[in-house]
Amino acid sequence: MARVNNWQIGREMSYWYPESRPRRQFAAVFDTNKCIACQSCTLACKTTWTSGKGQEYMLWNNVETKPYGSYPLAYDVKLLELLGSQEWEGDTYAGRTIFEAAPAGERVLGWGPEEQDYAYPNTGEDDCAGQVDHGARMALPHMSWFFYLARICNHCTYPACLAACPRGSIYKRPEDGIVLVDQGRCRGYQECVRGCPYKKVFYNPLTGTSEKCIACYPKIEQGVQPQCFVNCIGKIRLAGWISTPEKARLDNPIDYLVHIRKIALPLFPQFGLEPHVYYIPPVHVPEAFNRQLFGPRAAQAVKAYLNAKNDPDLAGLLCLFGSTEMVVARFKRQGETVIGSDESGATLVQVPLKEPVFIRPAIDPRLQVIRTNCP
Amino acid sequence: MRAEGMLFAAALAAAMGLTSCSRGPERAPEVLAESVRSIPLDPADKAWTAAPEHLAKLVPQDLVEPRLVTPTTPELLVRALTDGSSIAFRLEWADDDQSDQTGPSRMADACAVQMPTRRDKDLPDPQMGQEDRPVYVTYWRADWQAAVNGRGDAIADLYPHAAVDHYPFEAGPLEANPAAKQEMAGRYAPAKILGNLRSGPRKTPVEPLISAGPGTLTPVAWQGEDGKGVFAERRWRVVIKRKMPEGLRPGDRTAVAFAVWQGSKQESGARKMRTGWIGLLWRANQ
Repeated sequence: MARVNNWQIGREMSYWYPESRPRRQFAAVFDTNKCIACQSCTLACKTTWTSGKGQEYMLWNNVETKPYGSYPLAYDVKLLELLGSQEWEGDTYAGRTIFEAAPAGERVLGWGPEEQDYAYPNTGEDDCAGQVDHGARMALPHMSWFFYLARICNHCTYPACLAACPRGSIYKRPEDGIVLVDQGRCRGYQECVRGCPYKKVFYNPLTGTSEKCIACYPKIEQGVQPQCFVNCIGKIRLAGWISTPEKARLDNPIDYLVHIRKIALPLFPQFGLEPHVYYIPPVHVPEAFNRQLFGPRAAQAVKAYLNAKNDPDLAGLLCLFGSTEMVVARFKRQGETVIGSDESGATLVQVPLKEPVFIRPAIDPRLQVIRTNCP
Repeated sequence: MRAEGMLFAAALAAAMGLTSCSRGPERAPEVLAESVRSIPLDPADKAWTAAPEHLAKLVPQDLVEPRLVTPTTPELLVRALTDGSSIAFRLEWADDDQSDQTGPSRMADACAVQMPTRRDKDLPDPQMGQEDRPVYVTYWRADWQAAVNGRGDAIADLYPHAAVDHYPFEAGPLEANPAAKQEMAGRYAPAKILGNLRSGPRKTPVEPLISAGPGTLTPVAWQGEDGKGVFAERRWRVVIKRKMPEGLRPGDRTAVAFAVWQGSKQESGARKMRTGWIGLLWRANQ
């Protein structure tokens, strides 16, 4: 095991290989507050990549309802329980990562889902965290809660799948940090499936190899956001590139949300993988739950997000989500307009901070008829 | 290495002393390859009863991670036959469950024969060889056997109640254009497009490989490797046939090693039971 730096847990940790960061790292921000679980992302991915034989059960992208939803079944709570206490001291993780907690003879602390665990992708869908007592729906804030968690591969700095593979069949691309399974080399041992805490590697029984989210790299190579991003009708997703904290750039949308304003947080940072899908936590969820999923900064992130209406730069950047199919590498606000551009600075999109309001009178003065919304 | 070499020498010495005076079913302290005119692939063929039996003790693979922490299959019965150009081993072990299907956390039973690539004085590391001295591995798997025996290559062959809505490459308009259909199906099966035949359909249940240390297993060109496994009475009996090592003559010795995986025990890849090098003597006709 090598010693590597994991900025998400505020300390060094043990990892199977020495620290080797890509030239740039693919990353994403998902705004959980905007997701409506329409599963457009899931279908976009499914039709593009996993419509083959042996891929029937695979969802490289899925959306689960928290607290009870999970795919595969209990992927998160099983590992949380195996890992034991996960205390933070300020921004430093005081517990053990899944690499540090690996049992004797293992490369990572993991477990293997069985066939039945993949049989209920919609389990817990729209289930509240608690009972809704008679009349409770009439009161605000609501007594009970749930939220939607959209998930893809996190293309981690320290992938557990990569560490777990005994024959080096998984690699992290130096040019963009995307983590791939070499389909020519994989022998289907499923060590990666056991190792990934997010369970985003899937075994294909008809090719005999393990397969995973490829971040739509053929699109990324063209500067276009992945399928699950551009098909998101809730416009909850933004793809881009993340720097390490000390190199964060003010005009980089991902850096701004993650490092500068700190409103987007990794999922289960305590596992130690330095995952790169960052979530704006749900604003209506108990702090303890958010903290378990997103780490010790969850409450501050919620506070900053709720203040976005008084924060034009942040509000402007949030308006860029879903505004273009291209990867927005830079952004700037000019008055009431936010401009997204590519690496070279060429403008990709301009979005007003406030959409203009058009009022459609109920009566059409020219035809002298009453407009209705019915056909 | 030295310990392995000493064990090998001890096995050879014991072989010379014991095989000549045994009666009934021979239990040889090394693997003795009996010469036959043609090698039967069927493990139940009576020709196998003529070959002396060697009891190989298995140990867990506990040198590289992931290690097998808890021992499973304790031993393996090995017989060998040769027709001069090929050599075949019949491996037999007790297994409570026939695991001949793979799926999520579902592994297949398997076994393998390992031989040095060269007849050097010093043997390579017994566990998958080493960088300057690779080893040949011939690997048999129970799900491949099921495919060879006729099991189909569709999800319903593995999960009879599976319901599939639609595969885009089976859309009506593509029926008239098989090339386009095949090209589209390939997009969803990159491993197959790359020639990585980890699953069916297959012509043989075995695969020839070369290894130069743990994690380096690589397929090599086929040279007549074949095999057949039959599960009965809670035992696997598997024949693995491969080319005879170059230059080996009747009366010559080389070495062989074996590995066994029990799918029901979640064994695959490095999680396996294995032997060290065992002496292999091509017994001259008596």
